[in-house]
Amino acid sequence: MDARITGRGTWLAIVVTGVYIFLIGPMAIVVLAALNAGDYLAFPPQGLSLRWFIRAAQTEPFVRSFLFSLKLAAWVTVASTLLGTAAALYVVRHSARFRNVLRLAILAPLQLPAILTGIALLIFFLATGIGTRGMRALFIGHTLVSLPYVFLTVSAVLAGFDRSLEEAARSLGAGPFTTFRRITLPLIQGGVISGALFAFITSFDQFPISLLLVSVGNSTLPIQLFDYLRFSFDPAAAAVSTVSVLMSVVIVLIVDRLVGLQAVSWGAQ
Amino acid sequence: MASTEGILRAGVRAAPRRGLPPWLLIAPTLLLLAVFFLVPYVNMVRMSLLVKPAVGAYEPEFTLANYARALLDPFHWRVMYRTFWLAGLTTALTLLIAYPVAYHLSYAPRRRRRWLLMLLISPLLVSLVVRGFAWMILLGRVGLVNLAVQRLTGHELVLIGTPTAIVIGLVHVYVPFMALAIAGALQNIPPDLIQAARSLGASPWAAFRRVVWPLSLPGVQAGTLLVFVLAVSSYVIPILLGASNVLVMPMLIVQTLLDAFNWPLGSALSMVFFGLTAAVVALYLRLLARGMPWTRA
Amino acid sequence: MSSITLRGLTKRFGAVAAVRELDLEIQEGELVTLLGPSGCGKTTTLRLIAGLEVPDAGEVLFSGRPVTALPPERRNVGIVFQNYALFPHMTVWQNVAFGLEMRRESPRLIRDRVAAILDRVQLHGLEHRYPRQLSGGQQQRVALARALVMNPAVLLLDEPLANLDARLREDMRFYIRQLQREVGITTVYVTHDQAEAMVLADRIALMRDGRLQQIGPPEEIYRRPTNAWVAEFVGLSNFIPGRVAGRENGLLVVRTAAGTFTCAGEAEAGRDVLICVRPEALRFDETHPNQLRGTVRERVYLGNLVDYRVEAPGGLQLRVQADPSRAVAPGRAVNLSFDPSAAWAVHAREA
Repeated sequence: MDARITGRGTWLAIVVTGVYIFLIGPMAIVVLAALNAGDYLAFPPQGLSLRWFIRAAQTEPFVRSFLFSLKLAAWVTVASTLLGTAAALYVVRHSARFRNVLRLAILAPLQLPAILTGIALLIFFLATGIGTRGMRALFIGHTLVSLPYVFLTVSAVLAGFDRSLEEAARSLGAGPFTTFRRITLPLIQGGVISGALFAFITSFDQFPISLLLVSVGNSTLPIQLFDYLRFSFDPAAAAVSTVSVLMSVVIVLIVDRLVGLQAVSWGAQ
Repeated sequence: MASTEGILRAGVRAAPRRGLPPWLLIAPTLLLLAVFFLVPYVNMVRMSLLVKPAVGAYEPEFTLANYARALLDPFHWRVMYRTFWLAGLTTALTLLIAYPVAYHLSYAPRRRRRWLLMLLISPLLVSLVVRGFAWMILLGRVGLVNLAVQRLTGHELVLIGTPTAIVIGLVHVYVPFMALAIAGALQNIPPDLIQAARSLGASPWAAFRRVVWPLSLPGVQAGTLLVFVLAVSSYVIPILLGASNVLVMPMLIVQTLLDAFNWPLGSALSMVFFGLTAAVVALYLRLLARGMPWTRA
Repeated sequence: MSSITLRGLTKRFGAVAAVRELDLEIQEGELVTLLGPSGCGKTTTLRLIAGLEVPDAGEVLFSGRPVTALPPERRNVGIVFQNYALFPHMTVWQNVAFGLEMRRESPRLIRDRVAAILDRVQLHGLEHRYPRQLSGGQQQRVALARALVMNPAVLLLDEPLANLDARLREDMRFYIRQLQREVGITTVYVTHDQAEAMVLADRIALMRDGRLQQIGPPEEIYRRPTNAWVAEFVGLSNFIPGRVAGRENGLLVVRTAAGTFTCAGEAEAGRDVLICVRPEALRFDETHPNQLRGTVRERVYLGNLVDYRVEAPGGLQLRVQADPSRAVAPGRAVNLSFDPSAAWAVHAREA
C-alpha cells in the first residue's frame, strides 16, 4: 500500500530496527562467544578459533545427551507427524459438531503451562509404576507438546485445499487410499513437513517437561546444558548453544522454502 | 447446471466407502490425550487432596490440609505476587515492543516481509536454555552491558540475579509470539478501511487510532494472553537470569515436588497457582471485551 | 460540487502502465461511468481521482483547481468501495459520523446531519446496528450515507453493486441514479457491467488497456461506436467487412462480399471498413434498402426473443435477434435487410 495512506514514518523503521537487533543480537553473541579463542567468556573475544567446539565435542555428557536428544526428537517427530496429520484430516474434513472441542483438546497441551504438564506426568508415571526410565516418559511428554504444531500447520494447508480435486480423482476411478496418496498428500506435504520440522525442534529444545521426566543417564541436551551452566560458565557452553542456533536457522530456511513462513505464522494463531 | 453439479458431488460423496471409518484418524490422538494428559491432570487434582505422611509419597486419604497450607502461608502469597507482577510487566513491555514490529511487518512489501519473518521466527526456535545463556553473557559481571556502563559511568551494573534481568530475558523470548499474534490481526484489516478513513478526512494518526488500533485488539488480546500465561509459568529464564535469587511460583512448585518430595502440597500449590492464573485471565478478558463491543453483537 | 478534469494522467505499476495519458472532462453534476474489462485501468483512474494513488504523470483538477498533490483527506471526495469498507467496529451511526468528527464539526451539527442523511437513505431505526448485522443492500446504503454526509465535491463509486445479488442490483441501480439526481453531485462510477453503465450514466467512458476508447451518452456509444472493440464490448454486434466506394445522400456506400450497402459513418473512398450492425437491426424481410441473402444455421430460444445464426455469402456469420412470433426453421434460406441509419462503419485497422 502507498506509504501516504498508511502513514509510516522513519521513526517506525528506527524503532523496529532496534527491536530486531534486540532479538537477534543475543543469538549472535552466543555464536561469537563460541568462536572465542580465549579461556573465558569475555568481550571483546581474544581471537577466533574452533577450540571450544572441539572441547564440547570431546565432553562425553554433551555428546551423549546430544545423541539422545536427536534420537528422542526423531521418534517424537515420527509419532507427532503421523498422529497430528491424521487428527488434522479428521478435524478439518469429518468433524462437524465437535470441531471446536476437538481443536481445543488437541491444542490444550500448548495452552496449559508445560511445567504443570511435566509435573502431572511425573506424578502419574511414578504413581502408576510406569516410571521415567529410558525414553518412554520423555517420548510421551514431548509428543503431547509437539503434535499440536503438526496439527496446526496441516490444518492450515487443508483449510485452503480444494476438495473438488479429490472428487475429480474419485470420479476418475481412484479409491480413497489412492486418492490420498496421489492427490491429497502431494498437495499438503509442505504443511506436513513444516509441522514435522516444528515438532522436531520442539522436542529437541524442550525444557520444562524434560526437566521433570529425565532419568539418570538419559539426559537431553538442553537439560545437560542447563546443569552445566549452573556450575560452569565457559565458551564450551556457547559452542553447544551454537548448535541450537544453527538448527533453528536451518529449519526456518527450509520451512520458508516449503510453504512460506507466512502461511505458518498466521495459520498458527 | 447447478443441479447436475449437485448430483455429481452427491454421487462422489456417497460412493461406497472402501476405506476405514474416518474416526480412526482421530482415535490415537484422543487416546494419547486421554491417558497421558487428562488422566495425569485429574490425578494431580486428586493428589492435591491426599494426605502426605511423614514417610512415603502419599496416603489414599482425603484432606483439605494441603490447600490450607498452600493458601495460608504468606510466603506463598509473596511468591505468587512476585510471579504475577513479573509476568504482567513482561506482558506490557512485550506489547509495547512488539506492536511496532507487527505493524511494520504487516505493511512491509512482500519480499521484505519474508526476511523480517525469518528474523522474527528464528530466535523463537532457539532453545530457551540457550537464550537464557545468551543473556547471562550479556548481563553478567563480564558482560557487555556491565562493561559499557562501567566505561561510561564508572559504576558497576550487574543485572544477573535481579528481577530486571528476568524481565529482559522474558521479553526477549516472547516478543516474536506477541508480534505474530498482532500481525495476524493486522493482516485481517482490509486496506480499504484505512483508505476509507483517510478519504473521510482522517489523518494517518487518526486513521490508526480510530480504525487500525481497535480492529487489532483481537490480536492484542490473543498476544497478551499467550504471553502472560507463558510468562507466569516460565521456569528456565527466571532460574538462569535470576541466579536462584528471585523465586517464582514454578520454581517453588518444582522445589516442593522434587526437593521436598511433597507431592500433595506441590499439587495443591499447582492448583492454586493454576486457579489464580485462570481468574486473572478471566478478569482480563472481561475488561477487554468491554473495549470491543462489536465482537459481541 | 466540482467538475473533474484529468490531464495526461499516467500511472505505472512496475513495468505495467495501468493508466496511459488519460484526458477526461467531467461536468458538474454529471454521472460518468468508467466502463471496461477488468485490468483496463478504470479502478486505478478512480483511485487517482480520489488521491489513493499518486500519478506518475499528469494532473487531476477539481473545478480547474489542481489537487494532484493533495492527500485523499484534503480532496473532499466521497468514496464508496466495492466491499463498502464499513468500519466493522462502529455502529451505523458511528460510521456515518466518522468523517464529520474528523472534520471536528460540533456535536450538534453532527447529530443533525447524520440523522438527516440516514433518513434520506431510509436507514432510520438501524443507527445502533453494527455493519455485520445488516443486509447487503443496507450496508450499501450506509456506505452511500457515509460518503454523502460530508457533502463531498465529487462522489466516487467503485463497482458498488458487484457484491449484491441480481435482483437487488437491479433495484439499487435505479436507487443510486435517483439519489444522485436528487443530490446533484458530480459522480464517477466504475463498473465492468455494460447494462449497469447504460442505466446509470449521463455519459459512459469506455476504457481499454489504460486508454480511453470513447466517451459519450449511452445511446451514442451503442449506436455510433468509434471502433470495432467498442461495438463488441457494448452489446452484441455483427461486422461486415468491406471497402468504401463513395458517398451518397450523406451515407457511405460500402462494397462487401455479401452485396453493396449504405450506412452511416466517416471514411474516405477506398478505405477498408467494418459495418457494425446490431443483431436486432437485422430483419427477416425486405423492408429496408440494404438487403442480403443467407441460410439459417442455428436457432436458440431466449424467451423474449429468438437468437439466430445465419450464414451469408463470403463466409459471413451473422447473429440475428428477432421477435419469437415468427419462427424461422434452421436450414431455410432467408432474405435479410437492415436500415442504413442503424448501421455504422468503423475503420477496419482498429479492430
